[in-house]
This record gives sequence, structure tokens and C-alpha cells, in this order.
Amino acid sequence: MVTLYDFELSANCYAVRLMLSILGVQYETVSVDIYPGSDNRSEWFSKLNPEGTLPVLVDDGFIISDANPCLIHLAGKYDATDRWNPIQDWLVYPLMLGWSDFARRLTASAGGARTGVAFGWDADLPALQAEAHRLLRQLDEHLWFGEKQGRDWLVEGEHPTIADIAVFPDVVLSEEGGVSRQDYPAIRRWLDRVRRIPGFVVMSGVFPAAPARA
Amino acid sequence: MGLGVAELRQAAWYPVASSDDLPFRHVYHGQLLGQELAIWRADDGYVNVWENRCLHRGVRLSIGINDGAELKCQYHGWRYANRTAGCTYIPAHPADAPARRITNRTYPVKERFGLVWAALSADAPEMDVGETGFALRPMPVNALPEMVLSALVAGRVEGEPVAALPPLGAALVLNGAPGRATYFVQPVDSARAVIRGVVEAEPDLETLMAFNAVLSSLRDEVEAAARAIELPEPIVPRYEPVSVELATMPDLVIGRQATVRVMVKRRWQAALDVTGIELAPLSGHLPTFQPGAHIDLHLPNGLVRQYSITNGPGELTSYTIAVKREVESRGGSVAIAETLREGDVLAVSEPRNNFPLRRDAVRTTFIAGGIGLTPLLSMARALQRQGLAFDFHAFARSEDHLPLGPELKALGGGVSRHFGLGPPETAEQIRRVLGPHSFARHVYICGPGPMLELARGIAAELGWPDEAVHYEYFKNTHEIDTSSSFTVELARSALSLSVPAGRSILEVMRDNGIAAPSSCEQGACGTCLTRVLEGEIDHQDVYLNGTEKAAGNVMMTCVSRAKSARLVLDI
Repeated sequence: MVTLYDFELSANCYAVRLMLSILGVQYETVSVDIYPGSDNRSEWFSKLNPEGTLPVLVDDGFIISDANPCLIHLAGKYDATDRWNPIQDWLVYPLMLGWSDFARRLTASAGGARTGVAFGWDADLPALQAEAHRLLRQLDEHLWFGEKQGRDWLVEGEHPTIADIAVFPDVVLSEEGGVSRQDYPAIRRWLDRVRRIPGFVVMSGVFPAAPARA
Repeated sequence: MGLGVAELRQAAWYPVASSDDLPFRHVYHGQLLGQELAIWRADDGYVNVWENRCLHRGVRLSIGINDGAELKCQYHGWRYANRTAGCTYIPAHPADAPARRITNRTYPVKERFGLVWAALSADAPEMDVGETGFALRPMPVNALPEMVLSALVAGRVEGEPVAALPPLGAALVLNGAPGRATYFVQPVDSARAVIRGVVEAEPDLETLMAFNAVLSSLRDEVEAAARAIELPEPIVPRYEPVSVELATMPDLVIGRQATVRVMVKRRWQAALDVTGIELAPLSGHLPTFQPGAHIDLHLPNGLVRQYSITNGPGELTSYTIAVKREVESRGGSVAIAETLREGDVLAVSEPRNNFPLRRDAVRTTFIAGGIGLTPLLSMARALQRQGLAFDFHAFARSEDHLPLGPELKALGGGVSRHFGLGPPETAEQIRRVLGPHSFARHVYICGPGPMLELARGIAAELGWPDEAVHYEYFKNTHEIDTSSSFTVELARSALSLSVPAGRSILEVMRDNGIAAPSSCEQGACGTCLTRVLEGEIDHQDVYLNGTEKAAGNVMMTCVSRAKSARLVLDI
């Protein structure tokens, strides 16, 4: 029995919903109204996660908080091929962890700008947007050279990893925080590729891509 | 500081993307001099550069879906055709053909030197760049375009030759770069630019990274300089008012217009007694059409005939039609079969669609008799492109009589062919393929009159409502009874006309200077459809279905008449 404590508009919750859907895991959601309800500050929720952050995943009584630990858990438990979390591959695995860390920095910048705009939360928008652009420049460069080397995803290999899923939401939602992706054509193509992964699901503000070549 | 925005705006070609930026089914988000662009490559290789704005609600088309032949807006699903950007379908109005005038703004485009080029005005002079090249990683810079060009020139290796490429380009060797390259500055906005470097052929990865490193540090320097000055305001995008031609109601045309000149590019035997004809424009591309549309073909002998366009969506470099040689030809099909040659120039009307295809059916059934498959082929191609479910039943006397067999085969598994059936077996097949009507199923029928009557009859027996049964007759075989005489009042024109026996309403209106469009003039095509405000109609056409005829509020003025002494028309 898998339960996701979820807020529909949260980019980090979306990462977990994506992973659940792609891996075909059946789950239930409990909606936690972060905005405007501040349910994550309620007494009942603080028993689940004293930090008050989403997502929280409860899998057979085992409680996991925050996107990246959730992704690692899901990939470990439900992906028998270990392609999503290639823990055995010592060349690739550290790179993947690096991109997972990159995702956290994106959440702090692009994600912060987005919640600042959307919910009116306190945020130094110009600074957050500038930091988001700094990160997106790195990402675009990495992906452009990846394409030239035949690499479709954030790290080597034919298959995407949980790093792609971790980075995707804050990138695809960046324009809601006033961070345009017009200057990042390689990122825009990678977004298409992620959106073509079988099992991909959308959320508010995220649209499907045209199907790939059959 | 060089060129100002006004000069930059002068008609010129600028690179707006790398060729590599447009992979299969992608939509690229570009900008030139403040104008946002949606740039996409169709499956036929054509690169479209459009204003980045859906005509409906202004949503960016760069987030739309490139389906290889059309671009679909994410918001309400309006579809725009490859090449023309003409709207082909509006989901909120599934039963109607969008007006031909709903056309997005397109910009002139060229693909050359590894780059995609666009111009904001149609009179940009020819550019002087090579045919082939390899685009380096584009380098966006937040600075004035002319600052970026100055920095490129200042950053060159002294002594190496420099070739200026106006308005904003130069071929040179940058300090630290692994070789010579041609750099173009794309003026994105007043204080935004992209450096697009091009080398002759794809270098190895190390060389690409070295170029990228040099351009990155040049960008950092220029951006630092730009932060120290006061930057101009962004260019206010110009949303050109829609041209008068597109924004106003079209002039009512009298009769049949031959506005498009085409050349017979290819003619071939498409089946026994059927000639396939491919009509190409003399330059550019042909007007947008929707599946089900027909054109009037003006033949050298003065005759005008209607033929359905068989093409799939976004195919606007030619129209393919198929013409059956009629045994009782009145001169049209014989003229085509015997005299038309490749290279002949003919006039055709713009496409007109009185047989629109709904795309909200859970399943669409096509029933085609012989040459009647032509409009249905175009429809099925559109559904196939969108991945919508259909089954296609082609009836013919024999395989040799089946027109456009290869094109039909390309539709895949949904096609069944039925050869040499007599009326009872045909009826049985139709009964089988239709089955009892269920929610959101639609059938489109086209073929010889008797088969159409048969199919419509069976559909009615099986409980199919009129609005789910769509059909198009080739011609009206009913004998037109013109014995009545009556008065028509034209409500808008404040005119009262008397229609004598032997003359049609359409003819009498024309005699009195009232312009009215028409095409087949025998009550089959639907072009002269007119609203009726008062009076009882004597319907003699084969275009309207029983429900529409019973409602009594529209008529075909080319053949239908009045049962009452007086008709009031909304003209």
C-alpha cells in the first residue's frame, strides 16, 4: 500500500507522481493543502514530517520525506532493472547524484521564484531568477554537448535516471516564475524527450509533447 | 555604438535557429527584434517560422504540438497547416469548416549554412552566405546586439583577415579559438542577442568545446559591460493588424471564381477510366484546404467542374485530384481524359469545404463507392495523422476500377476493400459495417447516387440520426421541376423579385445585380446555401438531409424553389 501526501501544484510532489506513474505503481494520494490552507503546518502533518515539507511517501508503513529520497526508494523497490537508479555503475552513479543536487538548487531558485509569483510568498524574485538562469545555462550546455555525443539524458546511458525526473519539474515549470527558457534550446528538446517517456503524466502548467518517431 | 533598432529593423535576413535545433516533431521558441517566433519543421522538411501566438487566445504556439503536418495549439486545439499557417480545424466547432481567412502570420524563411534564417519583411535582399555549414553551439548574450558584434571584432586575432557580413556578422579568428569561423549576431531584442557561429564542417567534440569556451568568456565580458550601462527598453512587439483582406467580410463573389493558377505537374492512370492529376502552383504554395474540400477546375473548353482534394493535412505543394471518365460525360471528364497534358496551365477556385469532417467521433466510418473515395481519402488521412479511429470501406467493380489504390493502402489496417458486389451484397456489407448507431459515431458516404441512397436508407433503418450521417453527391440526378412561379423577397437587400417558371432563384438574383456564390449549380455541392426567413421551401437539392429540409430555414437557390407564393431570404 503506497500513499502519497501530495499537493497538486508542488513541483517536488510532481516528481514523485511522475516516478510512480512511469513505474506503474498503484498509489493513493492524500491532498495536503499547502496554499492557502497551510495544512503542512498542522499538528497531524507534523507527526508525519516535522519539517512540514512535501512530498511524503508512506509505503507499507515506511515513511519517506522529500522528492529525492522518494525517487530513490521507488526506483530501488519497483524498478527491477536498476536502470532508474544505477547504483551499481560507479562511473554514472556519482554523476547522477550530482544532478540530483542540481535539482535541489533549482528548487531553491526557479522553484522559489515560481512559488513567489504564484502564492505571493516572500522572495527576492530578481535574485532567484538570476540564479535560475545561471543554472539553466549550465544545464543547456551540458545537454547540447550531450546531444552531440548521442546522450539523451543527464547522465550516460540509453535510459533516463531519477536525476532526469528530479530536475524536470522545476525546469518545465520555470516560466511560471518568470524564468523564460527561450535561450535554452537544448533544454527544450530534453523536456520533449522526458515528456515522451512511457507513463509520463502532466500536471497543471505542463503539456504533453508530440509523439516521437515510431 | 553602430546600428540603432530602426536600422536593424530594415529588411534583412537574420539567423533565428540552428538547423539542428529543429528535430522531429519539435517546436522551437525563437525571437527576432522583439517578435517572438514559433519555428517548426514539418515531416516534409519544410521549416515554418510563424508569429508565436495562436489567433484564438494569443497562447504561445511554441508550446504547441507539431504533428508533422500541422501545429496544434495546446489551449483549445486550433490546428494550423504546414506552409500556409491556415487554420484547418476548431474543436469547439466540430461540424464547421473554419473560415479560410483564419491564417496565422508567417515570416519568410530560408535554411542555409547550417542555420535557419528569417526576415521580418518580405523584401529582404538576397543574402550572401554559403549553402552548407555546421552551426556551433549558439551563445545567448544579454547585451545590445551591436555591442556583441563589436566585442567579436575586438576579440579577433590581429593580422588574420576579417570579412564583415552586414548587417550583424563577421568571419574572423577569435583569440583562443581553435580556428576561423563565421559569426552572426541574431538581434533577439534591443538588449538581447545570440551569437551563431558557423564552421565549414562538423568538428570533433574537443574543437566544439573550445569554441564554446571562447564564446562563453566573450559573453561574460560583454554582459559585464552591458550591466554597467543603461540598457534600452525591450522592443515593443508589433502585432500587425490583420490585413484588410483578412479582417473584412469577403466580397460576395458572383458565380464561380478562378483565382488560383496551377500547372498540371503529373497525370497518370489512377484506375480504369480514372485519371489522376497533380496540380502544382506556379510559385510558392497553394491555399489552405480542409479535408472534404473541393475546387472548381476551369477547363480549356470553358467547362467548370468540381473535384475533391485528396491530399493529407499540410500538403500544400500540390493538390491531387482524380477524374473519372463518365460514359455520359457532358464534356468535362472527356476533356480531362483526352486533352489535358502535363505542363498545361489551368485556373482553379480556392478550396471550398461544404463536406467538413468532425474529429470528435469515437469512431468514424467511411463508405466510398468508386471515385467517391476522393474526399474521404483526404479525411481519413487527417484522422490517421491525428491517431483517431476510423474504418474505411472502399467499394468498386474490381481492383482495376479502384482509384488511388496505393494511397488507400497507405492508410493501413482500417481499410477494407469490397469488389464486384451487386446491390444486395453491397447492402449487406453496409449493414454490417454500420451496425446499430452508438454514441459519437459518424459515417461519411460518397459515391454514385444509388449507392448513396442505399447507404443512407440503411443508416436510417439502423437508427443513425441525420446529424451522424454525412454524405456528398457527385451530382443531382433528380429531374428539377421548374414549373412553379413565385416571389422572393431579399430581406437585407430590400428587394422583391418574381421568379418565373423555368428560371432559378440564383439566376433571377444575378439578373438583378445580386451577387451570390455558387459552384455546381445543380443542388449537390452546397455552395449557394441561403437562409430562409419565411415561406415554404420546395427543396430539390441533394445536399441537405431530411432533418435540415424539414427545418425549412435554409435552401439551395440554384435548384430549390417555393411551395408558397412568397419566400423571404436572408440576403
